[in-house]
Amino acid sequence: MNLQEFQRVLRQAFFVPILALLALAGVLLWQITSAQKAQQWLDHSDEVSAGIAELEGLIMDQETGLRGYELTGDAAMLAPYKAAVPLIARRFASLREMVSDNPAQETNLLHIEKRYDQWLSFAEGLLARPDTFSDRALNRHGGDLMYAVRSSIRQMRQVEERLRQGRLEHSIVLERREITVLLGGALLVGILLSLFSLSRLQRVSDVYQKSLGEIHEGREWLRTTLRSIGDAVIVCEADGSVEFMNPVAEQLTGWPKEEAAGHPLSEVFRIVNEFTNEEAENPVEKVRRLNKVIALANHTVLIARNELRHIIDDSAAPIFGKAGELAGVVLVFRDVTEKRRAEAALTASEKLAVAGRLAASIAHEIHNPLDSIGNLHYLLAEETDPVRRAEYLKLAQQELDRTLQISRSLLNLYREPNAPVQIDIADLIGSVLLLLKRRLDNQSVSVAYRPADLAIIEGFPAELRQVFTNLIINAAEATGAQGKIQISIHEAPSEELRGSGVIVEILDSGPGIPAAIAQKLFQPFFTTKGNHGTGLGLWISMGIVQKHGGSIQISNSTHPELHGACVRVFLPTRTLMTSLSRTTAYTG
Amino acid sequence: MEMSAQFTVLCVDDEAIGLQIRKALLEHAGYHVLTALSGEEGLVLLEGHAVDVVLLDYLMPGMNGGEVAARMRAMRPGIPILLHSACVDLPADIRDLVDDVLAKGEGPHALLQRLRQILEAAKLAVKREM
Repeated sequence: MNLQEFQRVLRQAFFVPILALLALAGVLLWQITSAQKAQQWLDHSDEVSAGIAELEGLIMDQETGLRGYELTGDAAMLAPYKAAVPLIARRFASLREMVSDNPAQETNLLHIEKRYDQWLSFAEGLLARPDTFSDRALNRHGGDLMYAVRSSIRQMRQVEERLRQGRLEHSIVLERREITVLLGGALLVGILLSLFSLSRLQRVSDVYQKSLGEIHEGREWLRTTLRSIGDAVIVCEADGSVEFMNPVAEQLTGWPKEEAAGHPLSEVFRIVNEFTNEEAENPVEKVRRLNKVIALANHTVLIARNELRHIIDDSAAPIFGKAGELAGVVLVFRDVTEKRRAEAALTASEKLAVAGRLAASIAHEIHNPLDSIGNLHYLLAEETDPVRRAEYLKLAQQELDRTLQISRSLLNLYREPNAPVQIDIADLIGSVLLLLKRRLDNQSVSVAYRPADLAIIEGFPAELRQVFTNLIINAAEATGAQGKIQISIHEAPSEELRGSGVIVEILDSGPGIPAAIAQKLFQPFFTTKGNHGTGLGLWISMGIVQKHGGSIQISNSTHPELHGACVRVFLPTRTLMTSLSRTTAYTG
Repeated sequence: MEMSAQFTVLCVDDEAIGLQIRKALLEHAGYHVLTALSGEEGLVLLEGHAVDVVLLDYLMPGMNGGEVAARMRAMRPGIPILLHSACVDLPADIRDLVDDVLAKGEGPHALLQRLRQILEAAKLAVKREM
């Protein structure tokens, strides 16, 4: 059910009862009007009856007055008689008007009038001849006439009585019907309204139940997803207290979800720097401060409740409420201890690979002086002339020194000081070139080396030798026989986003980097050399340079003569690196 | 001294000290020794001198031992050449260009013995042709 439909149901629930009650009120009004009309007719009958009774009374008064005058002859007795005459005429008129709707009663009234008129003319005739007062026959005639009047009146009264009776019954019927309609209507409307409301509520309730089910399903789905996810997930409230953890997070932190809930994150998620053991910044605080997705600093170690240490990789993201306020923070992290071990193993294997690449060149370098020393030894054994012997010994010493120099530079490739040292990068590259000389000569690759005057940086010489050995061998392999390499060192003044340092630029006359592989150059195991390369050289070199706080950029050269690749290595003058954070084999 | 007739050896190597010592050794063994510090120099010497055998290094700036050997053979097809190198990854087809290959560091006895063998083989070949 969408909102529109819900509003329609709401409108129905509002208007339908009002309309039903209005209809009921209309029916009741009709009933009440009918009952009132019946009551009016009843009242009318009562008025007519009263009018008849009054008329009879007046006529009786008149007759009584006439009789009294007849007996006493006193004219005062006639006063009621005379007073009644206009009253009776008026009464007849009003009654006529009242019964004008009823022809039967009209006839009855005319009958009364006619008989009364007969009696009245008899009475007038009698009054005109006082001598006849005692005439019995005449009196009896007057009595008969009066009797006829009264009998007509009785008849009319009876008719009106019957009429009233009928109207009374009708009124009672109407009154009963009114009550029946009132009760029945109320009951019916009540039941219908109840049924209607019930059906509407049922409909809303069905939809509500369905929505609840969907919400529940959605929650279950999310919960299952979070439970099944391979990464650890912790959700925090805006105040930094733990709200939810998935099983991976429970396992890595050592806190069961139920126990962790409500605890501050810093208690459950204890992170320190891998090497210094200094407490790392609480990610919730950092998200609150920066208001965006953050990644944790490198070398973060999570200390579990049981003090187990896991190297982790993680990120934290803010959860925003509807109004855009920070509603919580979600942390996603994973244990990279194994990955780091694997990387350390790869780093170590690449060191061996570099040694392998240099082995032939070194064997050559060492065999040459050794050959000379062997020859000198033979000559010394044969020679007796002391001057010659001295000369041979001197030559032997020179050749031994050369052997030592080479073995020392080989050792320097692996021996590393514990802290960063001042390195003259020009010297360092010079010594790398010395080691590579034979190899480059072999290919007839000419190297133009333009060292800078002052290129002193802080760093770890063996690692940087490894980097430049790799880069120069790559350049030599790219150029092929008779190729040219140009190595230059420039000072790099500080820029907006980086401090000052040096840039070593290596150009070659090879074919350059095809666009298709440019993206993959720094990926581990990517190689263009088939079985001859490990595919780790640039990956390791990048790691080393990045740890020095520098960068490597590889592009295609724009040099007029050297059209191959252009590798630019930036190394900062001051490194933030400590002896602990370089790529040593992980021994945790 | 060991050889009755004095043979002339042309030594080509870019290592000046090594070359100097090798010259002393070979002279001590009774050879007449010519030295060249590069392939180009060696080719010039070969053209201008009666060289009996060439002792050739492989890894050199400019022309390498293989190229030098090919050119020498072009100049003097029968010239015996002993390739004497510290290089561990010599191309496989180098043996077709030279009479023998000796690794540097095998010692003076091996060097002298190989030289003798090559010279004797060359002498036999010359006799057979005659």
